[in-house]
Amino acid sequence: MTVGGYISTAGHVGLIGYLLFGPGFAAEPLPMEEVQQVSVISEAEFAALLLPAPEPVATPVALAPAAPEPAPTPEPEPAPTPAAEPEPTPQAPEALSEPAPAPEAPSEPVPEPEPESPAEPAAAPPAPDPEPSGEPTIPLTPTAPAPIPEPITDAPPAPSPAPRVAPEPVATPEPDVEIAEEVTEAATPVEDAELVEEAEVDTAPEAATTQSVTEAEIATPSGAMTSSLRPRPRPPGLALSTPAPTATAAAPAEPTPANPTAADPTPADPTPDPSPAPQNDADDVANALAEALAGAASAPAPSGPPLTGGERDALRVAVSRCWNVGSLSTEALGTTVVVGVEMARDGTPLTNTIRLIGFENGPEAAAAQAFAAARRAIIRCGVSGFDLPAEKYDQWKEIEMTFNPEQMRIR
Amino acid sequence: MRLVLLVMALCWATLAAAQQGPLRIEITEGVVEPLTFAVPTFEPESPAAAELATQVTRVVAADLSGTGLFREIPATSFIAQRTRFASPVRFPDWRAINAQAMVTGAVNVDGSGRVTVKFRVYDIFSGTELGQGQQLTGTAAGWRRMAHKVADQVYSRITGETPYFDSRVVFVSESGPKGNRRQRIGIMDYDGANIQFLTDDRSIVLNPRFSPTGDRILYTSYETGFPQIFVLDVASVGRRSLDTGDGSMGFAPRFAPNGQTAVYSLEQGGNTDLYTISLANGSRTRLTSAPSIETAPSFSPDGRQIVFESDRSGTQQLYVMAASGGEARRISFGEGRYSTPVWSPRGDLIAFTKQTKGRFAIGVMRVDGSEERLLSASPLDEGPTWSPNGRVIMFTRETLGENGAPSIYSVDITGRNLRRLDRAGTASDPAWGPLQP
Repeated sequence: MTVGGYISTAGHVGLIGYLLFGPGFAAEPLPMEEVQQVSVISEAEFAALLLPAPEPVATPVALAPAAPEPAPTPEPEPAPTPAAEPEPTPQAPEALSEPAPAPEAPSEPVPEPEPESPAEPAAAPPAPDPEPSGEPTIPLTPTAPAPIPEPITDAPPAPSPAPRVAPEPVATPEPDVEIAEEVTEAATPVEDAELVEEAEVDTAPEAATTQSVTEAEIATPSGAMTSSLRPRPRPPGLALSTPAPTATAAAPAEPTPANPTAADPTPADPTPDPSPAPQNDADDVANALAEALAGAASAPAPSGPPLTGGERDALRVAVSRCWNVGSLSTEALGTTVVVGVEMARDGTPLTNTIRLIGFENGPEAAAAQAFAAARRAIIRCGVSGFDLPAEKYDQWKEIEMTFNPEQMRIR
Repeated sequence: MRLVLLVMALCWATLAAAQQGPLRIEITEGVVEPLTFAVPTFEPESPAAAELATQVTRVVAADLSGTGLFREIPATSFIAQRTRFASPVRFPDWRAINAQAMVTGAVNVDGSGRVTVKFRVYDIFSGTELGQGQQLTGTAAGWRRMAHKVADQVYSRITGETPYFDSRVVFVSESGPKGNRRQRIGIMDYDGANIQFLTDDRSIVLNPRFSPTGDRILYTSYETGFPQIFVLDVASVGRRSLDTGDGSMGFAPRFAPNGQTAVYSLEQGGNTDLYTISLANGSRTRLTSAPSIETAPSFSPDGRQIVFESDRSGTQQLYVMAASGGEARRISFGEGRYSTPVWSPRGDLIAFTKQTKGRFAIGVMRVDGSEERLLSASPLDEGPTWSPNGRVIMFTRETLGENGAPSIYSVDITGRNLRRLDRAGTASDPAWGPLQP
């Protein structure tokens, strides 16, 4: 991204941020109190008003107590179990209808000794399981503090015996009416009201499924596996990131030829020109062109016209028909291998030239399995020769096949 | 202008390089089908080994075919009718019948009755041997285990997976009419052979679970009238009950990966919570303390987490918490109810039972609850258990109606290769044990 891009991005982000958050931070103006007509009274009248006020007018309203935090239920765990009974010598149950099994084991069952060394649980030290014996501590159940009424420091004038002071006086409601901050008008039926029906719009739930179709639902007569649907092919432009040796060999790190400007024997100005950029750009282009031409000429290109897309696809399809991944492990199914093979002029692969060039996304053992499957595919489907144009033999006498099972993995 | 020239130059260089060297193609499509293999009858190296050689060959072939990953080529298709173990393999003959792999072997029984089984595995199309030939020696009584060992090696060499054929399954064998079933704990080979019973059928038994080493079994019994957990030694069939607390009912036990601790559900005063208990000293630790029902706990393979089912949200859902207890996070959010979760031995998946719209299904999901997939569906599927390599799931499927009965089924985690374990008969609640040493 260019500098202009960064500036533009920062500016837009700032603007959007201001629009989103700027107004939110601004303090809203307080609502204007309504102006009411008041009457002026003298100090004596005011004192007289205060005297007969024996009790506060604002009686504390009992609020619903906040939902108490569920007190941790005291562990009814009994006292720690007494010393565990010693590991008993198992006794065979009486009245077993079948004899005790005698698990036969060949004396030398496995030539390859299994590395597993099963730990003998009986002889092992007891696991340091934390015994919750100390747990029966009775959790403190906090007593709900009594609501403390706020002291009324200044008793307002009591124009009416209402228990609440508000900007507008409200008449005492009926005793069975629920008190609320917002007044809800009682609904009254209107006889001549016109009934308006809402327009119904046909709707349907979004398509979804909760079950995958498996063999149990297909009810195949036998449990044998069947060929899976072939996934869509990957676009041919995507290539394995593992560099092929030939590719790296074809692009040698050729030393850059001497810069003609550096070799310019005109030392008229000993101080270097601080802005020689245009000249260097032109040199870079010239160098890149020179490298491209040199690289193209360094490796002998196959003679003849290249394979068409159709011919390459035909080869790809022919090999994929025999690439069976059904018996591969899940690890091998995650491993991409690059296999090289040399071809005879009749289109058959030279089996002794099939080799693993590289692999990725898996361990070596998995790569070996994946390579074996790829090799089988090349040999099986090439046994009678792949359908390749003989006049373009130079183009396909050596083939590198990348077997990418990404779309064939177990899902 | 100069920039355009530079880009054009680089493109030119790239195209020039791309046209050099070998032809490169990328293959992203393939097929998923069983790999064809041939198993000529193992060569008997002594007259006494003739029948045994045939039996071992059949078990090896059945093991491989039973995975759904392999398909046996019948012997009638063989061009090379007889393959001696020591003679070289004529690969063209096997390529001609499209065999991709082949197993050859030989069986010998010596004078003392000891059995020796030798085998080799070949990749037919590459004309090479997969691995090296091996030889197993054992008693005649253990011939099935030797056959399973051979199949394990073949399976592992071809697929790259760790094997599971030489393993056992503990289950609840049921008999009698539907209203009066008699149950007992049974143990069998993974393929249903060699069934043996570990308890009598005088009481209801539930939830047998193998220890990580396969030497002990935890199960729940109602022989005292209320559920009680027992630990049973497989070799001696001796057992003892676990003291889960006075006046309480313990059930749904399962071993921790260390084999020294068990996690279970305890019902006390109408509330069910999860506890762990040390099998060595009986000390208990409470893991949950919620007014809801927490049950069906299962450890992760590393022993650090526990997945369980709870109805704390109103319906049965799956939750994961630390093995020491604490806050649990819900991982199932799909439609319906989830129950009986079991952590995969690989640690990457959790199998479960799902009930929705009156049907039951066995499914798997990632440990974070993502990528839920249902592998089966029927009026009543429940109780999944993993194979030792985490590739196959066994479960109980019960048919409805007066004559309905439970059976044990298995399915690949791809949802393919659904099979009924016929040999187990009327059975339920399977629990797969570890691969035997």
